[in-house]
Amino acid sequence: MQSKEIIITTSEVPGTKNVLLISFHGELTSLYITKISDVFDKIDYDSRIFVIADMSGVTLISSAALGEFMGGRKRLIERGGDFVFVSMNINLRTKLNLMGANKIFKFYNDTRSAISAYKWEYEKHPEKMTISFPPFLKMVPPIRSLVSRIARQKGYSNRDSFRIETIVDEVCNNAIEHGLSGKNQSIDMKVTIDPSKIEIIVTSISDPDKINALKAFLKPELYNHVNWKTDEKRGRGLELIKMLSNEVYVDSNESGTSVHVKKLREE
Amino acid sequence: MNIEFPYKVKLQFPGDTEYIPSIRKFVSEILQVSNFSSKFAYRSEIIVDEISNNAVIFGCNEENACIDLECIVYEDRIEFTIRDQGGTKDNVDKLQNAIKRTDENDVSKKGLGIEIVRMLSESMDIQVNKDNLTSIHIVRKREEPSS
Repeated sequence: MQSKEIIITTSEVPGTKNVLLISFHGELTSLYITKISDVFDKIDYDSRIFVIADMSGVTLISSAALGEFMGGRKRLIERGGDFVFVSMNINLRTKLNLMGANKIFKFYNDTRSAISAYKWEYEKHPEKMTISFPPFLKMVPPIRSLVSRIARQKGYSNRDSFRIETIVDEVCNNAIEHGLSGKNQSIDMKVTIDPSKIEIIVTSISDPDKINALKAFLKPELYNHVNWKTDEKRGRGLELIKMLSNEVYVDSNESGTSVHVKKLREE
Repeated sequence: MNIEFPYKVKLQFPGDTEYIPSIRKFVSEILQVSNFSSKFAYRSEIIVDEISNNAVIFGCNEENACIDLECIVYEDRIEFTIRDQGGTKDNVDKLQNAIKRTDENDVSKKGLGIEIVRMLSESMDIQVNKDNLTSIHIVRKREEPSS
């Protein structure tokens, strides 16, 4: 039985320089190997290093077609790029997974996710997230887990993620302890993450009654390892943040306190 | 300091489906620390997942688009408001029709997510401004008495 003619279209991806989107439609049987192969031959590998294959219109992939995709991917990998699949229907994806293709190819739900992955991996594009929450201590575990999960999701190791989690815990606990309390108050956290580092900024409104305690807490000698004593009950959290991160500074005035922490990815 | 109701948690995250599992888990955890049952938390998690996915898929056309999620937690309910940065007119129309559906039997394959949200929530409404910026407000009431 003759399968329907396949349609292959290539297009630019707006906002990116090196990405090419190839959309496939129809049944990719062994009859169309030359057509698939031609598409890879026509790619300018000097300017295109990342190719996204939109498979939303594909209903069948033969093993021969998969072989062509592997060949195309190899050419891109040799130039430091990649070839990824997007929008593949669940039946096809299951079959490819059973063949072990998921160990070779990356699959994304949609083109947008693939472009985000490209920007993250190749352009080192930072991603930002902000969280505003009330100053309740019970909020801290969910907040620390959220930031840690995102770090892991973005490829940070378990060790790095755990350290980030500890930093978030300490910074948030300090913000709650020294900031204004009450359900109408809020603590603002800004997280900026890229493949090499994470930056966390936590801002709270200082409680006027606790401002002296806060100043004592932030006094310079507490930043100094020489003066820090293991039996000192106050200031351990800040010292711990300093040990776990690469850069810490605290901006505190009568109206508010902002803690900036930068942690480089270690693994 | 113990939790006082009502309180508000706001999140802004990139318009990327990769973030959604972490966000839904976060909402579930804040509900559990606020003494809502794990069943309530899990069902709320499903709402967050569906509305966030819709916002990312249909409302994030711009580069660097992001999603705003606001949760107001009361003793007896949670209210979600999710805002995206605007989808195509076609997508916004589809979403509006799905939310304002009056025929109970009119459930097509597309729009099942919205149906699940409708089943799990007390009320759901949508606002779209002239730039197609979409905001969905959902109220979900506690099913069991608070402990």
